[in-house]
Amino acid sequence: MSERKKDAVMKDDYLWDGLGEPDPEVQKLENLLGRYRHDPPALRRWRFPAFRFSFQLAAVAAVLLIGVATFVVFRAMQGKNSGPTWEIARIAGTPRVGWHSLSASVATAKLKVGQTLVTDNSSRASITLEETGRVEVEPSSRLRVVASRPGHERLSLERGTIHATIWAPPGEFVVDTPSAVAVDLGCVYTLHVDDSGAGLLRTTMGWVSFKLNGHESFIPAGAVCATRPKIGPGTPYFEDAFPSFREALAKFDFAKVTRQERHALLETLLTDARKQDALTLWHLLSRVSDAERPAVYDRLATLAPPPKDATREGIMRLDAKTLDSWWNSLGYGDVYLWHMYERTWSER
Amino acid sequence: MEREAVTSQPVTEMSTDEALVSAARAGDRPAFGLLYDRYARMVHGILLCRVPPRDVDDLVQEVFLLALRQLRSLRDVSRFGAWLSTITRNRANDFYRKTNPADRATDPVAEEQAENRTNDHAVEQEAAMTLAVLRTLPETYRESLTLRLVEGLTGPEIAARLGLTHGSVRVNLHRGMQMLREKLAEKAEGAGRKAGKRL
Repeated sequence: MSERKKDAVMKDDYLWDGLGEPDPEVQKLENLLGRYRHDPPALRRWRFPAFRFSFQLAAVAAVLLIGVATFVVFRAMQGKNSGPTWEIARIAGTPRVGWHSLSASVATAKLKVGQTLVTDNSSRASITLEETGRVEVEPSSRLRVVASRPGHERLSLERGTIHATIWAPPGEFVVDTPSAVAVDLGCVYTLHVDDSGAGLLRTTMGWVSFKLNGHESFIPAGAVCATRPKIGPGTPYFEDAFPSFREALAKFDFAKVTRQERHALLETLLTDARKQDALTLWHLLSRVSDAERPAVYDRLATLAPPPKDATREGIMRLDAKTLDSWWNSLGYGDVYLWHMYERTWSER
Repeated sequence: MEREAVTSQPVTEMSTDEALVSAARAGDRPAFGLLYDRYARMVHGILLCRVPPRDVDDLVQEVFLLALRQLRSLRDVSRFGAWLSTITRNRANDFYRKTNPADRATDPVAEEQAENRTNDHAVEQEAAMTLAVLRTLPETYRESLTLRLVEGLTGPEIAARLGLTHGSVRVNLHRGMQMLREKLAEKAEGAGRKAGKRL
């Protein structure tokens, strides 16, 4: 056995049972993730309910129950008015919240529900919520806090640009824009909204879902997606796609075109698509007409052959399971997670 | 001095799972307590792969309550671990079906832990990102890897708890680790590129 192989086996042994030569990378991950380990405090230890009936115990329980009920009702009422608060930090210029401006001398403030952070063309700021993430706000932006409570943070980007780094669980951080809603699925992304309300979302890490009125795009790392008022999110694409492909896609998604022009645009998209543009073609499957779908299927099947259960017939009738199966084979992430977090978000 | 008649073998820390499960089915509560001690980390790890960390501790308790109620339906006592892991996965799926996260009360224990954790914010952020990446791995890999890296179980322990063969756990750990390395490297590269662009 070569030294290299022996080394790999020994390191695998450490991963296997913690014995053998420690693998520094595994040790680092153990130290880092060990903070999430199950370590039940005394109160969380398994306790069996006492079943022996006693009048004193019943009386105490009744008093406790009333106390807890009062507390829960009070908390619920309070919860409607208060929640976690975003901390603003000035980066440059004089960002503003209402009449209050941040300056070099007073560089931090709170951003509460209903308040709007405004940056002029020379101001920048960041807002941070410890349990959720950090958002950098670029010049000429307006960002409002719509809702803030444990497990749900919702901002509204009325115009401008933000860079979001989110460490909250997927689905908990949502940003409204005039033309789509961005739902974080665990990631880093940049969102831009211009004065007309049109937007562009660029995912750096992880995934983001961009949606409006049931029209939805799923944007993995490296991809971008444009959105337009009254239309919603367009089809996501990778930025290194051919310019002809990107231009055709922008027109196909948003321009008013004749049937012949649309046909020509689709032709360009299918011809100029590369293997990695399967992301775009997969989204197009459910956005084109029944008559157009076979051509999209054929091209996508050539670039990324479908798994056995993703039958042509299933795709033609847009069967959700069949589409999911093909998506999963593309390697952009498990659709199960997407749907799971999407469901969590949709129920709000 | 009179001694109480002994009708069954007392359960001890050294008892086998089968003995503990049989005793627990017969109503022996300390036996179920020992099963809890033995399997809590497995349940915790499986949940951590699927639900937000702050909800995991409460769900661990719920899973064991469910298991206690359904213990009589377990046909093969030697499959307790596999049976419990299925209950756990189902409970995690139900969590997303039934719970509206916005209405969940904040867990004060988790809040306190979060408070302490923020003392070292950069490390906490890195840990959260790493956990998020781990959670994107395919289910079989992320489960084994979470039990190994987060819960500190060894490969043989994971195999015994989940009712899997050593071979399949070894493969899950090995491939999962490889995939995790790649994804973390991609993230680091992406972050570096982003930082470079901004400079």
